[in-house]
Amino acid sequence: MKKLFARLAVLGVALLVAGQGQIAHAQEPAAGKKIVRIGATQAVDSMNPFLAVRLVSSSIHRLMYGFLTVPDPKTLQPSPDLAESWTTSDDGLTWTFKIRQAKWSDGKPITAEDAAWTFNKVMTDDAAKTANGPAAENFESVTANGQDLVIKTKAPQASMLENPIPIMPKHVWEKVTDMANYDAEVYPAVGSGAYIAIEHKKDQYVKLKANPDYWRGAPKIDELQVIFYDNPAASIVGLKKGEIDLIGRLSPPEFEALKGDSNIVQWNQQGRRANYLQINHGATTSDDKPIGDGHPALKDPKVRQALHYAIDKQKLADEVQNGLAKPADGSIVPPMYTDFFWEASGDTKVSHDVAKANQILDDAGYKKGSDGVRTMPDGDKKLEFRFSIHTDTPIEDKLAEYLTGFFKEIGVTLTTKKLDSSKFTEETGTTALFDIAISGWSVNPDPEEVLATHLCSRRPTASGEGGGTESFYCDETYEKLYQEQLKELDRPKRAEIIKQMQERLYTDAPVIAIYYPNDLEGYRKDRITSITPIPENNGILYGGSGFWPFYTLDAVAAPAAGSAESGSNTGLIAGVVGAVVVIGLGAFFLTRRRKSVADERE
Amino acid sequence: MTSVAWTRRRLAFGRFWDGFRHERAGVIGLAVLVAAVVLALAAPLFIGESVTNVVKGTGDRMAAPSLDYPFGTDESGRSILLMVWWGSRTSLLIGFLAALLTIGIGAVVGIAAGHFRGWIGAVLMRVTDWFLVLPSLVTALVLAAILGGSTLTIIIAIGVTSWPSTARLIRAQTLAVEARPYIERSKALGGGHWHITTRHVLPNVAPLLLASTTLEVASAIVTESTLAFLGVSANKTSWGTMLRASYDWGAVNQGAWWYILIPGLCIVAVVMAFTLCGRALESVLNPRLRKAGV
Repeated sequence: MKKLFARLAVLGVALLVAGQGQIAHAQEPAAGKKIVRIGATQAVDSMNPFLAVRLVSSSIHRLMYGFLTVPDPKTLQPSPDLAESWTTSDDGLTWTFKIRQAKWSDGKPITAEDAAWTFNKVMTDDAAKTANGPAAENFESVTANGQDLVIKTKAPQASMLENPIPIMPKHVWEKVTDMANYDAEVYPAVGSGAYIAIEHKKDQYVKLKANPDYWRGAPKIDELQVIFYDNPAASIVGLKKGEIDLIGRLSPPEFEALKGDSNIVQWNQQGRRANYLQINHGATTSDDKPIGDGHPALKDPKVRQALHYAIDKQKLADEVQNGLAKPADGSIVPPMYTDFFWEASGDTKVSHDVAKANQILDDAGYKKGSDGVRTMPDGDKKLEFRFSIHTDTPIEDKLAEYLTGFFKEIGVTLTTKKLDSSKFTEETGTTALFDIAISGWSVNPDPEEVLATHLCSRRPTASGEGGGTESFYCDETYEKLYQEQLKELDRPKRAEIIKQMQERLYTDAPVIAIYYPNDLEGYRKDRITSITPIPENNGILYGGSGFWPFYTLDAVAAPAAGSAESGSNTGLIAGVVGAVVVIGLGAFFLTRRRKSVADERE
Repeated sequence: MTSVAWTRRRLAFGRFWDGFRHERAGVIGLAVLVAAVVLALAAPLFIGESVTNVVKGTGDRMAAPSLDYPFGTDESGRSILLMVWWGSRTSLLIGFLAALLTIGIGAVVGIAAGHFRGWIGAVLMRVTDWFLVLPSLVTALVLAAILGGSTLTIIIAIGVTSWPSTARLIRAQTLAVEARPYIERSKALGGGHWHITTRHVLPNVAPLLLASTTLEVASAIVTESTLAFLGVSANKTSWGTMLRASYDWGAVNQGAWWYILIPGLCIVAVVMAFTLCGRALESVLNPRLRKAGV
C-alpha cells in the first residue's frame, strides 16, 4: 500500500520529490569539505549492530566497526582486520586470534576483551542474536588474554574466518541492559572503522565523518552521508539532479534511465545475487509433517525437471533483465565467487528444450486433455500451478508473463498470485501456501549461509515458527555434504564439497536458478573522482561485502557558499504559494462565472 | 392502451433522434463509440489472447513503428497495435459494467432518498454524503487491494466508490417530479410506493440516468486506467496496464513515444466520445438546456 501512495506522489508532486534530499545538507557551511552522499532506497532499521538486519544498516556498520577478519579487496579471501594474525589447534576446535594494537575513536585501546565481550553477548543474550546469531551458534567459549582472543568451538567450523559480527567497544556497550530495546542513538558513536557516525535522522539520513585515527589511515573524504529514498524513481532523479553522488542496487530500467547523462558513470558488473524459482516439492515441518497446499504433481522430480527444461533462461536474461544478467547454468552461488561457483556441464546440464520437456511428462503419464492442459496420471487433477510474486515489482510481473508462456507449451497452466512482502514471506517461508515462488539471495564471499537455507533444520516448526528455509528442502545427501564442508578446513577441498551440494540442488530441483542479475549502479563523476570496487578488478561499489569502496573513495571539495541551496528552497516555497493562489483565484472566478451563467439561464 | 403508449413512445424517440441529429459533436462521438465497441466485440474473430503472450513476441524490443508493426512494439517485442486492440476489450468491459453498477446503486438510493422524505431519506442522504467525501481513488485502491485483482473486483471497486454523485442527481430530480400534482392524484387513487416510484418517477428520471450513464462510463474507463497505472489491475492487458508497463520499462527514457501515446490516445478518444455523447444527450433530454424555437 505504501508503495502505491509513493507512486501517487510520482504522478503529481514531482516538485516535492525533488525537494526531498535537500533537508540533509541544508544547514551547515560545507565549503571546502569533501562530502559524498550515497542514496539508498531502504532506510536504516537500527543503529544497534546487534539488532540491525537490513543491508543498508550492515553496510553502514561495516564502515563504523572493525571485524576479526574482512574479505581481501582483491581476492575476497579472508584477510586480517582487527585480528592481525591467527592460529588453529590441530583438532580444529581452538582458534587463537591476535588483536591489533589500535584505538577506539574515543582514544581507548582496542583489546581482546572487547571482542570476547561482543561474542559472549551474542552467545548469551537472546536479543543480541537478532542480527548475527547463527554466526556464534557453534562457539563453546570465548576468552580474552591481553591481546589474545581464544575461541573454542563445539565442532570444527571452516567459515570461522568469515565471521560477520562487528567487534563492539566493551566500555561503551556493557552499560546496555535491555539490548532488545536499545537503539544506540548516541553520537558521535564510538567505533573502530573508517568512519564515525555523527547523526541519524530516522527515515531520512545518516551522517558519518572520517575517523582521523583509523589504523589503516584516515579516509580521503571528510564526510559521508547516506540518504534514504522511499522510491527508486525519486532516487534516480536525485542522482541526475546532483542531490546524491552514488546509488547502487538498481533495476535494469532504472539503470537504463541513467543513459545519456555525461556526468554519470553507469556501473555494470557481475553481481553477488542469484535469482531462482522455489518449488513446493511437498513441504514439511521440522518434525516431518506435511504442511501447506502445494500441488501434488510437484512432488515428482520428473515434473520439476520438465519445468526446468521448459524455461528459456537466455530469453529471460535478455528480455526480463534487459540483457543485464547472466543466465544461470548453475545453482544458488553466482559466478562472481569463482572459488565456489559450480556450473552444470555434459549430461547434467539442462538447456531449453521444449520437446524434451514434453517427452518427460508424456513418459511419466501426465496426459494432455482436450484443452491442452495435462492431468495427473492417477486422477483428473490438472497441472495448474500458482506462481507467487511480490506486488509492485515490474520485473517479477514480466518474469511471470514469460514463465506462463513457457509452461503453456508443455501443457502446464501457470497463474500469477501477487502478494505484499510480509504475506509473501509467510506463505513461501512458513505456511507453504504456494506452488512455485520467485526467490533470490545475495551471497556472501563464504556461501555457508545460503547453503544452510536448504537444510532440514531450517524448516518451520509445527507451531509455524519460521526457521528461514528457502525451499523446505530436506535431503540426506545434502545434509551429509553440509556437515562435511563444515569440518573441512582445507579451502580447495571444501570448495569441492560445496560444488557437490550445488549439483544436488540442480539435479533434484527444489529450486531452479534462472539468472544472476548484474550489479547495476550509477555515480556522478563530476563529484566522485575515484572509487575502488570490491573485488578490485570487476566488483561492487554499494552493498558489496566490504568497507573497501567507501574507504578508498575520493571526491571534489564542495564549492564555497551554499546560498544556492536556500535560494532553491525559497523558490520552491514561492512556487507552491503562487500555484495555490492561482488555483484558488481560478476556482473562485470559475464558480463566479458558473453562477452568473446559471443566473442567466434561470 | 398499449398501442397508444407505443405510438407515443415512438413519437418521443423520433423527436429525440431529431434533436440528437442536430448535435454534430454528439453524432461524431456516437460514431467513434460504435466503431470502438464493434472492433472490441469482433477482435476474437481476428486475433486471440496470444497477442499478449510475451513468449510469442516476434518483433524487436521497443521498435519504432514500421510496416510490420504499424504502432511499434513494447519491451517484449509485442505489437502495440494488436495489444491496444485486444486491451480495448478489458477497458470497455470494465468501463461499461462499472458504470452500470454505479448507475444501479445511484438510481436506487437516489429515488429512495427522494421518495421517502422521513428518517429513511435522511439516513440515505447521510450515507451518500459519507461516500461523497471519501477520496474515491484511494478508497478504490484499498478496496481492490483487499478484494484481490480480478476483473470483477475492479468493477466493484469502481462502482462502489463512484455512485454518490449520481444518487444526489437522481434525488433532486425525484423531488422535482414528486412535487407535480399528478403524483398527488396518483396517491389519492391508491398508488403505493412501488407504483409511484416505478411507474411515475423512474420514467421521468430515465433520460437523466441515460445521460449520466454515458458520462459515468467515461469516468470509469479513466478510473480503471488510473488504478492499473497505480498497480491495481486484473492481470489482463488493458490500456491502463499498457501505460503502467510503459512507465515501468522506461519508455520515456528510450524515446518510445508510440508506447505511451497510442494507449493514451485510445483512452482519450473513447472517453471523449462518451463525453460528447453524454453532453448531447443531456442537452436534448433536459428541457432547461433546449434552445428556444427547436
